[in-house]
Amino acid sequence: MQYGGMVHALEQIHRLLRPTGVLIDIHPAAVGLPIEIHQSGKIDVVGQLSVRQWCTDFQEADKALSEIVQRGLFAVERHVVFDSLTYYASATELRTSVKESIDKYARDAQSAQESVPHAEALAARAEVLMRAAVDRAELIERDQTHISRLRPI
Amino acid sequence: MAIRVDPENNETRALFDMANFDGQHVLEIGCGNGRLTWRYADRVKHVTAIDPDAKQIALAREHMSSQLQDCIEFQDIAFEDFNAASPPSSFDIVILSWSLC
Repeated sequence: MQYGGMVHALEQIHRLLRPTGVLIDIHPAAVGLPIEIHQSGKIDVVGQLSVRQWCTDFQEADKALSEIVQRGLFAVERHVVFDSLTYYASATELRTSVKESIDKYARDAQSAQESVPHAEALAARAEVLMRAAVDRAELIERDQTHISRLRPI
Repeated sequence: MAIRVDPENNETRALFDMANFDGQHVLEIGCGNGRLTWRYADRVKHVTAIDPDAKQIALAREHMSSQLQDCIEFQDIAFEDFNAASPPSSFDIVILSWSLC
């Protein structure tokens, strides 16, 4: 969603909420996502999945929330950051899932094309490390996620 | 084996820490396949869960348990269109589940 669309959506949500209601927004932090391999209590970082457009989108979501607060439509009552972990059975599954997300959320062909090689390289590295793992290894994406409670004013 | 998202339930804990869902009318925007919806739906009075992706909504409907059928309504609709057809002050809680961006 473009920035203007985000602000407009928040204005519409204000209309739909009862005066005593709350808006809960959940979205990832605008940072790279560590891809990790967990094995026998040890964590190896494969790399950071960093898709430029996602980071831009997440930054704009933060900005849109700030704008509606500054305009006096909502007040932030609570804000927490937590880790949400996604477990993949294999590097192939990671590769497929990331490519699907890049395709789904790409605003244009160029942003999709520039992100795919990076994701491919990360998945290939994960594949090598998973193959080399002696014990049962788990392939994990760590999403740092923001959750906020906003009260309509 | 399928992808497992947040099996530790960190997101659910954070969500329940943000609001009391008991008996509330909830709108979830960007519900996808209902991954988050299932986690709180048994507490609410009613949840309207929307997503513009018809395939994801079909999956959500397919996996809906019979116990939740009376309290969840999945709609494949864009938020803009949903808002245009909805009266004001309709919901106690609106959740933007990874959908603002």
